[in-house]
Amino acid sequence: MTDKRAQTEQLAKVWDNPRGWRALSDVNNSIVGLWYFAAAFAFMLFGGALALIIRMQLFVPDSTLVTAEFYSQAFTLHGTVMMFLFAVPIFEAVAILILPGMLGARDLPFPRLSAFGFWCYLIGGVFVCGSIFFNAAPDAGWFMYPPLSTEQSGIGADIWLLGLSFIEVASIAAAVELIVGVLKCRAPGMHINLTPLYGWYVLVVGGMILFAFPPLIAGDILFELERLLDWPFFDVTRGGDPILWQHLFWIFGHPEVYIIFLPAIALLAMIVPTFAQREITGYSWIVLSALGTGFLSFGLWVHHMFTTGLPSVSLGFFSAASEAVAIPTGIQIFAFIATVMLGSVVRSVPMLFCLGALAVFIIGGLTGVMVAVAPFDFQVHDTYFIVAHLHYTLIGGMLFPVMAGVCYYYPLIMGKELSRAYGIWSFWLMLIGFNMAFLPMHLTGMLGMPRRVFTYGADRGWTELNMISSIGAFVFAAGFLLLAWDCVRPKRHQRDVPRNVWNAGTLEWAARFGNTWGMRSIPEINSRYPIWDDKDFLRKIDEGEGYLADAKEGRRETLVTSVLDAQPIQVLRVGGPGWLPMIAAGGLGAVFIFMTFKWWLPMGLGGVVFLVAVLRWLWTGTAEIPEKKTKDIGGGKRIPLYVSGYKSTGWWAMFITMTGDLTAFLALLFGYFFFWTIHPDFPPADMFGPGWFWPALAGVLILVAWALTFGARLLNSSGQSGLARLFLLLAALATLGGGLALMAGPWTTGLDPTAHAYPAIVWALVIWILAHLATGMLMQGYGFARLLYGKATPTHDADLWNITLYWHFAAFSGVLTATVIGGFPYLT
Amino acid sequence: MSKDNPVIAEIRRETGSGTDLWSVIISPSIWALHFLVCYVSAAIYCQKLGRDAPLSDIRVLVIAVTVLALGGISWSSVRLWRVHDRSLTDDDFEYEHNTPEERHRFLSHVALMLCVLSAVAIIYVTIPMLYLDSCR
Repeated sequence: MTDKRAQTEQLAKVWDNPRGWRALSDVNNSIVGLWYFAAAFAFMLFGGALALIIRMQLFVPDSTLVTAEFYSQAFTLHGTVMMFLFAVPIFEAVAILILPGMLGARDLPFPRLSAFGFWCYLIGGVFVCGSIFFNAAPDAGWFMYPPLSTEQSGIGADIWLLGLSFIEVASIAAAVELIVGVLKCRAPGMHINLTPLYGWYVLVVGGMILFAFPPLIAGDILFELERLLDWPFFDVTRGGDPILWQHLFWIFGHPEVYIIFLPAIALLAMIVPTFAQREITGYSWIVLSALGTGFLSFGLWVHHMFTTGLPSVSLGFFSAASEAVAIPTGIQIFAFIATVMLGSVVRSVPMLFCLGALAVFIIGGLTGVMVAVAPFDFQVHDTYFIVAHLHYTLIGGMLFPVMAGVCYYYPLIMGKELSRAYGIWSFWLMLIGFNMAFLPMHLTGMLGMPRRVFTYGADRGWTELNMISSIGAFVFAAGFLLLAWDCVRPKRHQRDVPRNVWNAGTLEWAARFGNTWGMRSIPEINSRYPIWDDKDFLRKIDEGEGYLADAKEGRRETLVTSVLDAQPIQVLRVGGPGWLPMIAAGGLGAVFIFMTFKWWLPMGLGGVVFLVAVLRWLWTGTAEIPEKKTKDIGGGKRIPLYVSGYKSTGWWAMFITMTGDLTAFLALLFGYFFFWTIHPDFPPADMFGPGWFWPALAGVLILVAWALTFGARLLNSSGQSGLARLFLLLAALATLGGGLALMAGPWTTGLDPTAHAYPAIVWALVIWILAHLATGMLMQGYGFARLLYGKATPTHDADLWNITLYWHFAAFSGVLTATVIGGFPYLT
Repeated sequence: MSKDNPVIAEIRRETGSGTDLWSVIISPSIWALHFLVCYVSAAIYCQKLGRDAPLSDIRVLVIAVTVLALGGISWSSVRLWRVHDRSLTDDDFEYEHNTPEERHRFLSHVALMLCVLSAVAIIYVTIPMLYLDSCR
């Protein structure tokens, strides 16, 4: 028994949180998740306060409470904050907080990446929100349509673009972390058909982020190039087109709605079975509908653009897809209702919020089916009908489920119970207040009140409806604040909750409050609800009969398992507390923030800090060669401590990152062909660049660089590390040559990017590839140094695998760019 | 040993090779490709030929692509349907057992239902092309 106590103490010591001011260097998911959560809620309160200002202004006609200018800033920031700083990050926060527990992992595979993402998010969010106190907030609506946003002189649009681009980094970091977490860090025996539904949703949403956010990043780049350097992508007088922005924005913007909705509804999939005291009905149906929704949601973006004058057949395609997405969405909701009906429901606050969520969301879904019909949309486009619709979907589909999740998981995370009375009051205030605020807006919209107007005349007949809405908004806010107060009020005198307070069946409830490492030992999983199905389950965990019951080497460790059947394949040593993620985020933040003000020197310094921090982080903390080959994890199993290639988490992280990167590149390429479709002659007759020679040379050199990099990995694994180093050096030279040749094309033919959209898009593509080649060169140099210093060897070659993987993607984009800019002008 | 050897077939069943995550997303990917081809070709066609152009030529293309896409989905469905009569554990729709075979049947079920959903969505997307006449 003392042996077991010593093990527990060792685990506690290894996973101990840093204290005092060093607490900020923490990277553990249970702490970073909590920070994330708190920050998201703080931003939510800020966004909510803006909404109340909006409602106060609209309370009476011809109101002079705020100026039109301030009103524009308020609604722009309200939308921006709620979407980018609350709805998406709250998903990341909740997932980082509870996903490892659900999967039976001790932490996520890349804890420092989570911390990095959090700091990026916090810095970017404060920057964007803070602008309103200097009367400099963005004011062109949350989707920033040009030409309004490109032509107006304020700095607000830059703050929006750069601040949000920076926050998108955090989202993509979270996507990488969570996808790898779900695929590779499930407890042994947790086959893919036993994975908690929340994990499935996170997987789908992670995948969606990779295809949805990058087009926005590409759009942001074009937009900022226009703002900063006057490259006319969206300027009609010089061959640009504002519709391009709308496409790029909504290719992001519509999937984003489902990126917000799915992880919130995933909480229902965890909560409903617990309070119905039975397993979920139609597990496989819910999985397929999550997957189906994920895919179909990418075929909806033009329904935000029904009134831009596209051919009616295009509208038809998107209208049809918009109706089709109702099918999988409906399946999920029916599955939840069926679970409630078949079980015996325990009355509780989380369950109230779940049912409220279903009711509100269904109303929002139904108006969604209405506005998916193009002719109806023509009538209500940009009116309060749309405002009502989107709030019903977002509050029913995201806020209520998240509230349910807060009430449900609060005891697990904080160890205390929330007040039942407060919860019930809060729910009814929110439900009644919400419907009072937004139900009348359907009518206000039908009566013709447009969105985004700062006031209206008394003769319009909108007065009473607006009054009701405003009162409802305050009732709603009161309900929300009541719950917020219940969460933060001191509870020192309240007794601690017992373990698994709701009698849930899923793995996360096996953890004891206060353990940052999750469970005492990692169990073998045999069913979807192990706590219900195996009465001996908790005892086995607590007595250390599972895996990794000890941390003998004093390292933080978690298990990596195979994707489908969750067979243990590696003991992964994850990072402990450290300042590098925060420093790296600070450096990157400086780049984005100073760029807004065009302070080039501090911006450059920020870039250097970022680069040095990241390199140091990689050099000291990744692909470390362990002191022994394998480790006994208990249960008579010995598994490796080091793996490389597609067995490793690092390789998957690179693969996922580069998939997102490729999407951004394809979005830029889409811009090129978009300009071709709208111009009768493209390239314009008087522009001859970049010719075929330089692009062709660039393509060949990039291919050579790729082949040499690939060759270096093969040579190294056959034992010839010296030759591999030489290959990497030559590859770096070829990369340099390829970059110069690519630049020479438009340079020597005098393509002026400010003259017309054609040279601008060519240059944008070239710059994108140059940045990737520069990164690729850095990686070749890094691989060279790793080999030189013995940090990578023929048997420990994870670095080289990852570099090669990067190069597969970089070479593909590079060669494709060379082919398009060099070859396409000869086809037209 | 040949492929039809019952011992090997047994092992296959137990390790449940066959349906993986990639084959689950085949049918929605076919939907996505079909959708892109329809939208992009119609958009370019209408942009280049002007708003008065009749849709007859592009309609042929869209119908051809639809037939192709539905054919691909049918092929995938038939493959997945065969998994149904191979269960060793049980024949229900819960897929809650801790064996590779259940995982295999689970993924096949999800994939099969996604085939149905994708086929419905493909037909939906094709409908506007059938009753619109011009690029207006």
